[in-house]
Amino acid sequence: MKIQIPVKSRTLIALLQAEPLTDAVPEALTGCYISDLLSDVLAHAGPGMLWVTIQTHRNVVSVAATKDITAVLFTCGRKPEAEIVAEAEQEGIALLTTPLTTYEAAGKLWEAGLRGENDHE
Amino acid sequence: MTTAPAIEQSAGAGDARKVSVAQVLVYELRVRDAMSSPPIPASPSDSLRKIQLMMKEHRFSGVPMIENGTLVGIVTIEDIIRALDQGHINDPAERWMHRNVVSLRDHFSLMRAVAEFDRHGFGRFPVLDSDNRLVGVITRGDITGCLMHHLERRAEEALAHEAVLRASRADDEAAQRLVVRAHVRTGDYDSAGKVSQRMRQVMRDRGIDPEIRRRAAVVAYEAETNIIIHSLGGEIIVTIGPDLVVIEAIDTGPGIENIDQAMQEGWSTAGRLPRELGFGAGMGLPNIKRCSDKLTITSDSKRGTRLRSEIYLHPAGAPS
Repeated sequence: MKIQIPVKSRTLIALLQAEPLTDAVPEALTGCYISDLLSDVLAHAGPGMLWVTIQTHRNVVSVAATKDITAVLFTCGRKPEAEIVAEAEQEGIALLTTPLTTYEAAGKLWEAGLRGENDHE
Repeated sequence: MTTAPAIEQSAGAGDARKVSVAQVLVYELRVRDAMSSPPIPASPSDSLRKIQLMMKEHRFSGVPMIENGTLVGIVTIEDIIRALDQGHINDPAERWMHRNVVSLRDHFSLMRAVAEFDRHGFGRFPVLDSDNRLVGVITRGDITGCLMHHLERRAEEALAHEAVLRASRADDEAAQRLVVRAHVRTGDYDSAGKVSQRMRQVMRDRGIDPEIRRRAAVVAYEAETNIIIHSLGGEIIVTIGPDLVVIEAIDTGPGIENIDQAMQEGWSTAGRLPRELGFGAGMGLPNIKRCSDKLTITSDSKRGTRLRSEIYLHPAGAPS
């Protein structure tokens, strides 16, 4: 039986030098999934997770809402339009942006102890 | 109520026959419910002629005789006929009336009253209350009339109750069934997820299991984006019923050339723009299949593609 220990998101935000784009920032995250393909996220991401992507258009919010994803981290300093941030606020999804690349961000998240739901420990 | 258990006993004592409403009524209803009241008595000193006129006026077949508030006799239509025949119609009633009258108590059940009619063969009984006061007169006709009246009332109540049930059932179904129908335009990437969003909201409001909600949301989202990316335009119809969610995606073409191929993960015909937006992973139909409890897809180049996915809300069993 796999036990997910939620990781405090404040710690992660500091590590990633991330900037929150929405007012609401989640307390904790249960896991992480990284992909830029929407259907891939729909297939593999789980509720309560952090999703790391370079996609910034409004479908990101739709996909995140569809899977009850808690937060989305945009890498390489990408930022969605204000309209999309507002939609995320409405859906209760936190948006963050980091200057790090997806690879660097993934490394830091792993080091901090955040694991994917499908990790094979 | 001492009579109700008697029914249960007789029905339970190996007699599986159903007890009819009329049978229940003859036990439940009392003599006081059926009798003619107030009684119109005469005095023993009244002449038979006077009593004959009373009978004619009120259409009675028998008149109780009261003396000092006590029932002392009865004069029946047969007594009057005999008096006319034998020429003593002007005699006072006390000379010819029946004394030792058999009466019924007002609290007797109609069942008991019927038994008394059978036992004595009389056409009527005076009815006394527990203080021996005359309170009415009862005939077989009164019993029949009373039963008919109550049967009619029960039938009306049953019909009214049924109508209320039917109405509330229709209300329930209407409340539980929600149809979201939306037109989906080709290339309208910004609108992707609109139908799915409304469906998710309804399912969340209804407290539907989050895992089931997410599966339905994936199906609706993928079906919607398929129309946007691949079709000439179409429609999404989401029906949320009490037991299942049905998601239908209907487009006007051009149809899927090879459905088996389209069901393979990674296979996609999406163009450059949708791919840049993160669509076209070749996972749409496989995702829909994985999240559906039942999936049918039909497609041809003339009529386009019809996709129908069912997701059961109570996974333990199929929809009832």
